[in-house]
Amino acid sequence: MSSENKDLIWLSSLRFLLRHPWHFGLSILGVALGVAVVVSIDLSNSSAEKAFELSTEAVTGKATHQIQGVSEDLDESVYRSVRIEAGIRSSAPVIEGYGRIQGLNRTVQVLGVDPIAEAPFRDFASQEAGIDLSKFIGGRNTGLISQNTAQEMEVEVGDTLVTEVAGVYHDIQLIGLIEVENERSRQALESILLIDINTAQRLFGMQGQLSRIDLIIDENQEGTIKQRIESVLPEGAAIVRSESRTETVAQMTRAFEFNLQALSMLALLVGMFLIYNTMTFSVVQRRPLIGRMRALGVSRNEILFTILKEALFIGFLGTLLGIIAGIFLAQVLVQLVTQSINDLYFVLSVQQLSIDPYSITKGLLLGLGATLIAAYWPAREASKAEVTTVLKRSSNESKILSRIFPLAGAGILVGSIGGLILLVPNGGIAAGYSSLLFMIVGFSLIVPALIVGMAKLFRPIFGKVNGMIGKMAVRGVVTELSRTSVAIAALVVAVAATVGVGVMVDSFRTTVVSWLGSQLQADVYIQPPSSVARTADSELAPDLIEVLKATKGVEQAGSVRSVQIRTNFGTDNLVAIDHGDAAEEAYQLKVGENAFWEVYDTEPIVMISEVYAYRKNIGLNDTLIIQTDAGKVPFTIKAINFDYASDIGTVTMNRKIYNRYFNDDAISGLALYAEEDVDVNELVNRLRVRADGMQEVFIRSNRGLREASIEIFDRTFTVTVVLRLLAIIVAFMGVLSALMALQLERSRELAVLRANGMTPGQLWNYVISQTGVMGLMAGILSVPLGILMAYILVYVINLRSFGWTLQFMITPDVLLQAVGLAFIAALLAGVYPSKKMAEANPADALRNE
Amino acid sequence: MKNESHISLLRVNKSYQEGGNVRTVLNDMELTINEGEMIVLLGRSGSGKSTLLNLISGIDQPDSGQINIGDTDLAKLSEKERTLFRRKNIGFVFQSFNLISTLTAEENVLLPLKLKGIEDENLLQRAGSFLNEVGLGDRGDSYPDRLSGGEQQRVAIARALAHEPMLILADEPTGNLDYETGKKILDILNKLVRENGRTIILATHDRDICSIADRVVELQSGQLHDVTEFEGA
Repeated sequence: MSSENKDLIWLSSLRFLLRHPWHFGLSILGVALGVAVVVSIDLSNSSAEKAFELSTEAVTGKATHQIQGVSEDLDESVYRSVRIEAGIRSSAPVIEGYGRIQGLNRTVQVLGVDPIAEAPFRDFASQEAGIDLSKFIGGRNTGLISQNTAQEMEVEVGDTLVTEVAGVYHDIQLIGLIEVENERSRQALESILLIDINTAQRLFGMQGQLSRIDLIIDENQEGTIKQRIESVLPEGAAIVRSESRTETVAQMTRAFEFNLQALSMLALLVGMFLIYNTMTFSVVQRRPLIGRMRALGVSRNEILFTILKEALFIGFLGTLLGIIAGIFLAQVLVQLVTQSINDLYFVLSVQQLSIDPYSITKGLLLGLGATLIAAYWPAREASKAEVTTVLKRSSNESKILSRIFPLAGAGILVGSIGGLILLVPNGGIAAGYSSLLFMIVGFSLIVPALIVGMAKLFRPIFGKVNGMIGKMAVRGVVTELSRTSVAIAALVVAVAATVGVGVMVDSFRTTVVSWLGSQLQADVYIQPPSSVARTADSELAPDLIEVLKATKGVEQAGSVRSVQIRTNFGTDNLVAIDHGDAAEEAYQLKVGENAFWEVYDTEPIVMISEVYAYRKNIGLNDTLIIQTDAGKVPFTIKAINFDYASDIGTVTMNRKIYNRYFNDDAISGLALYAEEDVDVNELVNRLRVRADGMQEVFIRSNRGLREASIEIFDRTFTVTVVLRLLAIIVAFMGVLSALMALQLERSRELAVLRANGMTPGQLWNYVISQTGVMGLMAGILSVPLGILMAYILVYVINLRSFGWTLQFMITPDVLLQAVGLAFIAALLAGVYPSKKMAEANPADALRNE
Repeated sequence: MKNESHISLLRVNKSYQEGGNVRTVLNDMELTINEGEMIVLLGRSGSGKSTLLNLISGIDQPDSGQINIGDTDLAKLSEKERTLFRRKNIGFVFQSFNLISTLTAEENVLLPLKLKGIEDENLLQRAGSFLNEVGLGDRGDSYPDRLSGGEQQRVAIARALAHEPMLILADEPTGNLDYETGKKILDILNKLVRENGRTIILATHDRDICSIADRVVELQSGQLHDVTEFEGA
């Protein structure tokens, strides 16, 4: 293209970027990192959602409704009544649970079906799909897995699959492979073990029971058909729409996913500050150039649009790079997200990352949008500047010095607006994050005034330590305030984000550790392996319980039973406890009277966790209607307890009361108290020996369980920790790029110093002292902002997302890390410019424009 | 030289706030210039020469008074209108050259042409011929930092003339050059301005330059005075 046809203003802009490759590259990197974090979290979440959707689709099939029992089970006689007495042919019995197949590194969903009734529901499980009926329902343990899974495991039809269900191992003969045409179904079936309903009853110890009955009800006849079915249903059983159940499950992870998204947005926000810094710097650097253009007749709008176009160009390159990096990062994050979902909510297996065009578009729009927003103010400032003043920079420096107090005033105002947003009743999580944004912006506006104040403090100290060079280094930060303040503010935000998230995780951990301390009162705990780490969804075998209780050294025993129940709020988790007097010590009440413990084993009262109270918006003395085997029973809420094991919430009642209303003798977990002077570790070994060969269970000492719980906690926070690490990398890059660009820009001034006799060594000292001062300032200022961010994350966002009360815990480690991070990055940022200037001939730098 | 009043400044006032004091730079200043006239504006540093040029170019606005260039009173125009007026009608030559460092010499000359919206097929040729006129026909592809001070100022002259402006403003055009180079630059400027029939105001503190002027005025205490003791061109 000849010069004749070029847009010369744009060309000039583009060449400016190419002449500052470090700066250009680092600003692209700033956008790319922010976008990569958002895209990767989004892709991980959407992949998890898709995997959930697929598995639900496979398991629910074409069922429109389901019949559910009171708790988790339904008597199989109900199926006969529905099919024969009510004459509903489109019905199929289902048993659903989880297991692990040896050789396959994930939990599978075990689906027990009657292939004869399956045809209208699930194509792959029906007689028509080619299942060999004689083998499938022949009374032996047989099953099918998908062709892909068989290939993955390198097994063939006829092989035996050793399958563990609730700690018990079963041999299941593979009698066929599930073959499906489309890719979607193939993915959905990769984590399913299909077995006959009778086999499932044996595996899960559910003789005579079903998980549910699937139904297909014609919409037009819904009323009459439901009536017919309801007439044969036992007390407590109910018909629910299939999707409502799916919705309940999906809802569990909503807050979790939202918070991950919000944290990823925090990374983008940090990225935005870096872009703002880059663009402001780029504009300040180009003031004379812009002034010349304006003098020649280039209009304000032309300057504005050119700089925005430039930002868009940087944004586009950064976003593109960010999306590619995000897809790679998502491969790692999806495993962490899935692990957290598995530990906290339900079993999910994500075999592959689904690259959702929506996530990519969102990343694209966010990247470009964030860049444009961040670049708008510097661009506007450049275009608004008077031609007479843009031709000389000193006027700008004096202008910002006179503006620091109005800026600080505006900062306090913006920060106060952020504080007021928190007072909005029912503000929700979005209000929490908006408030956070206001406070960050507010604090950034106060930064220039704080820099000037800190410089006054630093100057004599640096003067003493480093003589005249030390004083010059500090003074330089103030004389170039229009450049340094933006860079420092951006760094403060970046580093503060790492402090905020760090303090939040520490607070959470400290709270959980202290809660576990009081919650775990017994000496030994026994649990069957559970598919979801934080819930007890399996049962202990009754003979094992007797053996363990009768072990020498055991003084007394307590137990818990954990089941899913239906309440007037939907499906909830109920825990029935039998802990005797120890319960009072173990459960810390947030609200409630001591009298609760005196009557909780005689009256129909319950204790709910604070999370449950928050989610359902209920409180003390409210009534909870629970569907029991004796029908719907009202229970009065008489206590609210702290519980950090579940973010969904738990209803707790005494086992005696549970037994009064539920026909269920099972026990999900056992707590044993050792006799005095008995060594707990020896007791654990003794119990393990006695349990050998029975059901596989976890027998752990109090300390062992505590460590295991903390391990799970840490695992569920791995995603957050990874996000924090990414924020640290973004912050590090920010410190490095901003300060390096600043020093490179000062080549001429440094050349003057060299020309006046400063040795290369003194130049090193000067440059590194100055970047060090700025890093130190950024590190110190990031501490109060970081603590403020942590405060909002812990007391507002966490509370509004999950309803937990947390202890606010600031550990010196996190704060030192922040100051250290900023300081070290700042020192590193000085290395290249010092080296370049020390090696350069000062005459060259003085000659160049 | 035609004897029509081409540019007129009537009762122009301009002052600046400096801390607690007000400094008056132009005080009821009057000036008329005929088309094609070469005016040398003398004045000591800080006398207000640059301020006056900024007002005539529309970069700055007077506190009061009229600045008529052709039929337009710049004092009545908005910022945007003044910018558009400047790009069409004014050519600049600065003391510190002020070339766009990210554009080549040729592109620097092309810029005002493009800004003016001239879509001539021979645009490049036009820019090239102006560069030839200033003796830099072979340096069109060079960036400013590859040119000497004198060469940069020659490019600036070519740039100021290329889009055929009504008025050229030169602010200390030889201030950053050695005597010999400065003299050459003045010769080129004088020759080209006269060949192209342009009006020019040349601000300087160097009385030697007066020799090329049609008329010399001096800015003192915010007002202009005619200087008659100089050797006219």
